Amino acid sequence: MERQTVFTLLDVERTYELGKAGWFGKSRGRLKALDGVRLELRRGDSLALVGESGSGKSTLVRIMLGLEPASDGRVLYGQHDLGQLDPAARKRFAREVAFIYQNARGSMNPRLRIADILAEPIRLHRLRPEAEMTGRVAELLARVGLPAEMAERFPNELSGGQIRRVAIARALAAEPQVIMADESVAGLDVSVQAQVLNLLRDLCREGGITLVFITHDLGVASYLCERIAVLYLGRIVEQGPTGAILGNPRHPYTRGLMQAFPKFGAPLTAPLKGEIPSPVNLPQGCRFAGRCPEARDACRETDPVLAEQAGRQVACHFPLEVAQ
Amino acid sequence: MSDATPMPASAWRRRFLTPIARQRTAMVGLAILAVYVVGALLAPWIASHDPTAQDLMAALQGPSAQHWLGTDSFGQDLYSRLLYGARLALVIGFASVALGLVVGVAIGLAAGLIGGRTEWLLMRITDGLLAFPELILAMAFMAVLGLGTENLVYALALSFVGPFARMTRSDVLQVKSQPYIEAARLMGVPTAAVIWRHVLPNVVSPILVQGGMRVSIAILLESGLSFLGIGVVPPTPDWGLMIAEGRAFITMAPWISGVPGLALAILLVALNLVGDGLRDAFDPSTQRE
Repeated sequence: MERQTVFTLLDVERTYELGKAGWFGKSRGRLKALDGVRLELRRGDSLALVGESGSGKSTLVRIMLGLEPASDGRVLYGQHDLGQLDPAARKRFAREVAFIYQNARGSMNPRLRIADILAEPIRLHRLRPEAEMTGRVAELLARVGLPAEMAERFPNELSGGQIRRVAIARALAAEPQVIMADESVAGLDVSVQAQVLNLLRDLCREGGITLVFITHDLGVASYLCERIAVLYLGRIVEQGPTGAILGNPRHPYTRGLMQAFPKFGAPLTAPLKGEIPSPVNLPQGCRFAGRCPEARDACRETDPVLAEQAGRQVACHFPLEVAQ
Repeated sequence: MSDATPMPASAWRRRFLTPIARQRTAMVGLAILAVYVVGALLAPWIASHDPTAQDLMAALQGPSAQHWLGTDSFGQDLYSRLLYGARLALVIGFASVALGLVVGVAIGLAAGLIGGRTEWLLMRITDGLLAFPELILAMAFMAVLGLGTENLVYALALSFVGPFARMTRSDVLQVKSQPYIEAARLMGVPTAAVIWRHVLPNVVSPILVQGGMRVSIAILLESGLSFLGIGVVPPTPDWGLMIAEGRAFITMAPWISGVPGLALAILLVALNLVGDGLRDAFDPSTQRE
């Protein structure tokens, strides 16, 4: 049986007008943060979004959360357009989809105790009677490996690793069906990182939670997620099963990302040359052509589309051969 | 919204009591203020005379066993008038600041949260209020409203709306862009609860500190207006009024102006000490480890 579709993105675009300041400011150009993203998420999927800074990972997630409107294209949650949910559906969306901020400390009101921060979504959606609140908060803290005494603390009294785990606990408090996380393990202690990753993995495997995980760490992506989408300059360049893609990248950018990732016992091979170009004035043709070691004339003239190739999608005129 | 769980005593102590107690000068100011408050509260019981009872036979007397601090030109007992005057000064001071704070914070919140044309309009009104010095604005309003204690409170409150509105707006703009506000909205917290639980608690402490410091300005303005004859109506026991009455007799009976003047000066110093202490204890920009 087909699993239920949770999110459908149909050619989503997001453009920002630049330099429009004041009433008489003139627009100095448009920045295309996302350009024709097509994505489908089914219940129980775990998707990693990878790419360099500025590739549009965060923008994509913010659009899926409804925090920013799509300039063009449609975002469907279930069967409904995200921009046109009625109040009841919007409330359901708020409960079913949880977001874990990259800036975990900033995402918590510094004037509330951890207990109140965790209880807020529970009270809001009336998930537990008031009498069970203390127990539930302790349970959530235990779930992320924090002692129950933490409930009495304020966010600024917790360390970076602790506050991230509280952020995850808050996401779980709403008993969501979809969790989106932005760099939730970056900069964490290795042991804490493993603990958090295992927790998220267990949630996906046992809880049937749909996970969207932004990361620039391909190791984390391959451990946690079954599917991976590689973004470059606002467009998905390669998408498919994590194992297949990281085992045999077909887009030169994916390969470049993997080579830039240090490995034990191997020298750091030539990583990606140059910087990610400015998304304000995109070059004609393939947007990766300028940095691509395989670029040919055709690449500089026509923009490749994301095409289905052997169980995955690749946007490249001359995809790399699958090494047998 | 059931916002039940009360803050445990230990957390309350840690966040409010300890930082204040650490401010030595603030504690001194608080002690002096407490004396004034007790005096004002107990005025009906510890006053020796009716504050408005005139006894022309006993006019212009120096301090004696009968009249502890002497009498004025109408023979009114200065000690009793001082106590009732403290009551009036404190009530007007706190009431006008409270009223100005509530209105100003409401305007600032609306401007900061709604934005756009509403913000522009509200801030231009605020600019208009801020263009006048407090005393001039209060004088103009007293001229329109007429004399009286209540009108004095309104006039002073009006002159405080501007600073509170502007301060609240700038803090709201800063807090509004914090991720925790967006996170709360994302969780589906209703707008009113976002304002009440997430915006207000994060802007309120500098405003309260500012409020504490404004009380002394309010009392000074109130006395000034009464001194100029556009404040409370005589023979209400009011310090400004008492100083004005004693002015003509300053060489013969300096205590008539001196007693309320000294009382006013000490109260203002105490209030400023408390205000500075509050600021040092809670304003993050001056907070030290």
